[in-house]
Amino acid sequence: MKKHPVSLTVNTDTYDLLIEPRKTLLATLRDTIGLTGTKEGCSTGDCGACTVIVDGKAVTSCMMLGVSANDKEITTIEGLASRDQLHPIQQAFMDKGGYQCGFCTPGFIVASKAFLDENPNATEAEIRHALGNNICRCTGYTKIIEAVMSAAEVMRNS
Amino acid sequence: MRNFEFFEPETIEEASDLLTKYNGTAELLAGGTDLIIEMKARTAMPEHVISLEKIPGLTGIDYDEESGLRIGALTKMRTLENDPIIRERYTALAEGAGEVGGVQIRHLATIGGNISHGSPAADTAAPLLALGAQVKITSADGERTVPIETFFVGPGQTVLKTGEIVTAFECPARSANQGSQYIKQKIREVMDLAFVGVAASATADNGAVSDVKIGLSAVAPTPLRATDAEAIVNGNSLTTELLQQAAAAASAQSSPISDLRCSAEHRREMVGVLTRRTLQAAVDRAQG
Amino acid sequence: MSEYTVLGKSVPRVDALEKVTGAAQYGGDVHLPGMLHGKFIRSKHAHAKILNIDTSEAEKLPGVRAIITQDDVESGRRVFATDKVLYLGEPIAAVAATDPDVAEEAADLVKIEYEVLPAVQDVMEAIQPEAPHLHSDDTKDGPARRVLRTELRKLERDDSQDHSARIAELNAQMEELADEVYYNVSAETHSDAGDVEQGFAESDLVVEDTYVIPRVHQTYMEPHVSVADVESTGKVTVWASTQGPFAIRSGIAGTLGIPLNQINVIATTMGGGFGGRFGVALTHVPAVLLSQKTGRPVKIQMTREEEFTDGRPAPGCVIKLKTGVKNDGTILAREGLAFWDSGSVSGASIGSTIRLRGVYKFPHLKVDAYGVYTNKSGTAAYRAPGTPQVAFAGESQLDDIARKLNLDPVEFRLKNMRVEGDPVPAGPNEPKVGYKETLQAVADAVDWKNRTKGPNQGWGVAIGDWTNGCGPGGMFVSIHEDGSARIFHGSMDITGTDTALAQIVAEILTLPYDEVTISRGDTNSAPYATGSGGSVVTFTMGNTAKLAAEDTRRRLLELAAERLNTDVESLELKDGQVSTIVADPPKSIGFGELAAYSLSTTGGPIVGKGSFARKPSTPALAAQIAKVEIDPETGRIKVLKMASSQDVGFAINPMAVEGQIEGGTVQGYAWATMEEMQYDEGGNVNPGFVDYRVPTTADLPTVQSVIVEVEAPDGPFGAKGVGEPPITPTLATMANAVADAVDIRITELPMKPEKVVDALHGNGK
Repeated sequence: MKKHPVSLTVNTDTYDLLIEPRKTLLATLRDTIGLTGTKEGCSTGDCGACTVIVDGKAVTSCMMLGVSANDKEITTIEGLASRDQLHPIQQAFMDKGGYQCGFCTPGFIVASKAFLDENPNATEAEIRHALGNNICRCTGYTKIIEAVMSAAEVMRNS
Repeated sequence: MRNFEFFEPETIEEASDLLTKYNGTAELLAGGTDLIIEMKARTAMPEHVISLEKIPGLTGIDYDEESGLRIGALTKMRTLENDPIIRERYTALAEGAGEVGGVQIRHLATIGGNISHGSPAADTAAPLLALGAQVKITSADGERTVPIETFFVGPGQTVLKTGEIVTAFECPARSANQGSQYIKQKIREVMDLAFVGVAASATADNGAVSDVKIGLSAVAPTPLRATDAEAIVNGNSLTTELLQQAAAAASAQSSPISDLRCSAEHRREMVGVLTRRTLQAAVDRAQG
Repeated sequence: MSEYTVLGKSVPRVDALEKVTGAAQYGGDVHLPGMLHGKFIRSKHAHAKILNIDTSEAEKLPGVRAIITQDDVESGRRVFATDKVLYLGEPIAAVAATDPDVAEEAADLVKIEYEVLPAVQDVMEAIQPEAPHLHSDDTKDGPARRVLRTELRKLERDDSQDHSARIAELNAQMEELADEVYYNVSAETHSDAGDVEQGFAESDLVVEDTYVIPRVHQTYMEPHVSVADVESTGKVTVWASTQGPFAIRSGIAGTLGIPLNQINVIATTMGGGFGGRFGVALTHVPAVLLSQKTGRPVKIQMTREEEFTDGRPAPGCVIKLKTGVKNDGTILAREGLAFWDSGSVSGASIGSTIRLRGVYKFPHLKVDAYGVYTNKSGTAAYRAPGTPQVAFAGESQLDDIARKLNLDPVEFRLKNMRVEGDPVPAGPNEPKVGYKETLQAVADAVDWKNRTKGPNQGWGVAIGDWTNGCGPGGMFVSIHEDGSARIFHGSMDITGTDTALAQIVAEILTLPYDEVTISRGDTNSAPYATGSGGSVVTFTMGNTAKLAAEDTRRRLLELAAERLNTDVESLELKDGQVSTIVADPPKSIGFGELAAYSLSTTGGPIVGKGSFARKPSTPALAAQIAKVEIDPETGRIKVLKMASSQDVGFAINPMAVEGQIEGGTVQGYAWATMEEMQYDEGGNVNPGFVDYRVPTTADLPTVQSVIVEVEAPDGPFGAKGVGEPPITPTLATMANAVADAVDIRITELPMKPEKVVDALHGNGK
């Protein structure tokens, strides 16, 4: 079956790849490019572990074909921190204990970033509603929400 | 996933020709949130996948007090949910779109996909029924318009013929004295499929209620209008008794099944409860 | 606990940075050159004979490197189904191919002919004679027949006199109890104390109910995965996402007959476990077999659907329960009979049935439990295995009793709770426990006495008890020339246990927390460590860390005494240095200097060793109070408040402890309200996150966690195991809150909206 040339800009780098159309964006990121920070938890779009930002919008990368991401700008968990500084959301997840096993954490952090970028003044209820596409089984969400709320404040003040 | 040939046509005609050429082995790809799941589960095994993304003019929301609302079929659920005109005038549709999956899914899923898929439980189906939507369908042979009421044929089945593609939805213009609401019965607050979905729309008319439309989903082989309930309410002022009658009529008009989610009896009962609630809310919203 | 400088502080976890940046390497992130991908060929029926397996078409597919069946298992130990499948999704074969999609296509091409057999999924049907008998036609006696048979056997052995009349009578009575002949029994346990019949006779109120609790999946977010690499020499390396790498090593050795010292298990970071990630069978052994056959590394990663059909979830059960009390609220007797749905293999959790006794003074107690085979996958542990189920029954029934006797449900429980020294029915006397303190703490946290509620709102309280496990572990602590300390061990961390170990070592060595680093070795390098389950790690490895740190301290003191020309007794560790206790003149020497010095001594580098196996554990209690609001028309339950207290002995890291309480509570909430693996005769019908619902951020508010600290005498610094207790009360907490809100008693979980609405209709509403 014919492979397709695609050009993906992931974080700061552009990758020109030849991929099978059946490969999802998630598989392309993890298996072809080797960025394994984005996780596969369900492969049906229900758990959010594979969340990445495509052209500014958070999406479940297991529900998008790699060929559909051609010429798009993608941000993954690996692209959030600068060389010497964590993103405020990453810092807040550390400080507030917003993770345990950590498997859902990249998806939560990336989804939170995309949401807070568009909704810097979101209330707790809005954040809880917006992060419903991400499942965490360890924390019961209390500390995740605390982390996102506190990061939002840091982001507003900077 | 089985492998497939991937096409990105740049015109509707080209897409329609591909669909016709590969009749039976091709699937259209819009947001992908239904198709990719089905391909992974092997319940869909297309040899050809035709992406609509490169075709211009399929996205966007236009509103005009004369001609009404036009929504491109590839418009994302998240866009509908947040659009100021839809939130204000077509509230049930914003609510329905906002009930689909979670935010990440709504950034992918499109209204055209949600409707074309033909699921009886589609969250935008009941609102479109209540808002009097028309479905614009295009093929290489031309364009036709189908009222949403007649678009669905059975579970997973629509009136779409080989080579036909849904390109847009149109709803009549609405004014400030019209209101609507969509509610669904679910377990989780978000990320749940509709056990029952009900949308109602009404016009407040000097104390009386007119132009009532009620859409039901997940309670029959296709989404449907609760026309008997509508007739009970239309032209009258809303009373508790009238609401009860309408609720009973909507329940009676539904023909739900029992499945792993809940029983037919529960669905029928919820049709009544949600019909009453959405009707009341639609009228309250219409009265400002 | 202010006497400590590092312990009792909510320091960020040692693995925080790698987890928030995506750098942590989980099982699925392992990628080796030339690696193949394995997929299973699974049964399409819940019960069937396998007539033929045809792999010929699949083998022709380009990219396929091997297909294996039970015929390829030289040891003969069962890895794949051969003659018969016992559940939907049971593995029959596995394929390795160059690409996961190709492996999946190949799996589709394997043709299996079946003769479908009748299947049984309901535990109460499975014990009937007409049910399909999964493993044999053997039967077991129910509780009453068992009593009769015990007497019968005794009389039959007694030749001293003629018992024929009584024997005939007993035989006749057993005949009459034909419905107590149970088929498909996989296991049984029985215990009693006192005389329940007498207890019920003396009771003013006796209540009897049947409770049904569904099978639920642990739903760790990372599906099972392993990568196996078998070298041409036969050496096996397995990268496994597992709670117990040493158990995986011995499991592979035992199953495949490979010498233990030829197997190295490298445990990766693990995406949750909750008890479900111990087994060797799911992916590890098949990956090794495929790698043996192909000579290439092989990765097997289960999908979420496979997790639901072939995972090892928590068993559902049916519990018949009878409790007798006096009118003043004194509990007298309880009799419980439980049927655990073990699935197709003898399963977990049945031993927890005894926890029907709760933490109450039951003078009379009788508990009988049976594990029952059905056509489902086997079961495994899930967070305090078995206890949430029995606590649901026990605590729901107590709540009804409190209501009937018009007693405050908190006071009623406090009145009957055991305290230190009290006899435990069918167990040793209570050690020092904090049951009353824990319940009181959660009641105080919500101002229970002054609680108010609006229409359709209600408050529910329940408790659950658990005792952490204990196991062997070893550890080294070394001091580097820069004065910092490093811990080396082999136990798995999910919940923050490595952080607790670092805190313990830092405290003992008087080092700042960030001067202690920690490394986990593989099974080739690290000393043995018990698996991370049963709330053992902080207790076991914490004690081990204490020993290793104390050993390190001893060596530091010896070296310092040498260098400072004094004796060990006059020295102490202070602020990362060894100093004279009485300072005249003050003398001190840094750890770094001692570490450098040690390299030239006859004793050599500073390496402290800790090796630990067993100390008595102390029971812990979790207590919860929920406030809910019911929509009486739709049956939807909204949680308005959820408070959860727990006796943790001593909170080494309060933030991590709170995380455990919050997480366990929400899992319990979900079991109560939404989670349920559903089956029809063909097998599991909701194998995915659409119809197997787990809670999201939007489903409940902040969980208010309340830490209670009643010191465990043998825990490290008084700590108890923390992970499991918080899930134990919540099923009943929620049911009791619903009962208080709208006066319905739901005895069958989960409390989905339809069930609530139906119960309200049953009440004439």
